[in-house]
Amino acid sequence: MIAVGDELPEWVMPQVRTEPMQTMAALLRDPNPVHWDRASTHSRGLDGRLINQGPINVGYLANMLMAWQGPECIQRLRTQFPDRVLDGDEVRARGVVTDVDGDSAVCDVWLERPDGSRPVVGQATIRITRS
Amino acid sequence: MGHRFAGGERTIEHWENFLLAEVCGGEQLPDGLAHPVHLFHVPIDGAGVTIGELFDLAEAEGPDRVGLESYDWEWFEPLQENIAYRCEGQVLSAARRDDGERAWDELVFSIDLADGDRPVARVTNTWQIWRTR
Repeated sequence: MIAVGDELPEWVMPQVRTEPMQTMAALLRDPNPVHWDRASTHSRGLDGRLINQGPINVGYLANMLMAWQGPECIQRLRTQFPDRVLDGDEVRARGVVTDVDGDSAVCDVWLERPDGSRPVVGQATIRITRS
Repeated sequence: MGHRFAGGERTIEHWENFLLAEVCGGEQLPDGLAHPVHLFHVPIDGAGVTIGELFDLAEAEGPDRVGLESYDWEWFEPLQENIAYRCEGQVLSAARRDDGERAWDELVFSIDLADGDRPVARVTNTWQIWRTR
């Protein structure tokens, strides 16, 4: 039985890599070089580390939710991006149940680095398919 | 503000669904289900614009002068491969922000996806367009 306060099983990206960012940039036809050209991030003080696309970060949260409640569970996902996720980062998708209403649950969700910082935070509404 | 996108149809093909699941580090989904993260580019593409054209519409000073503030994505039913989704949307607001250290424009746009008369999803994205002070 899912209850308020339950922690979601975490989903781990042990090391964010550049190749998926570059593939994503091609899929999205995204002209922003911070996702594919290291030269563009040297001037930002990031030592040439590329910036992971926001949708990939959201994808990590979606992977966590689908691993927990199945591939058709996500009804709403609101996300904010207070910080950047860079290549080489380890991030964990985590969450906690904040409300349960019938077969629907609301969860606070976030990406977390090993130092506890949260570059992506949000709220998910999911359909409960597994207790 | 109020700018409506041209609108159009967009189909998620298997190859891009496969690649998108890979880039997100996830497992391939069963039964033709599309990864939820298609809700970023499919509505934009389907509405008849590219990300670069959105940058131009926002009069961004360069492609690296755009950042994310928030997404609000709703699924009324799961996305599927091989369905021609109708995509319609518009710019909801554009407002200048200034915190004393930097200035940016907050651009909010929303796009609806439908399968025939049936609503499938809605996205509302907020981007930051940084301005030279």
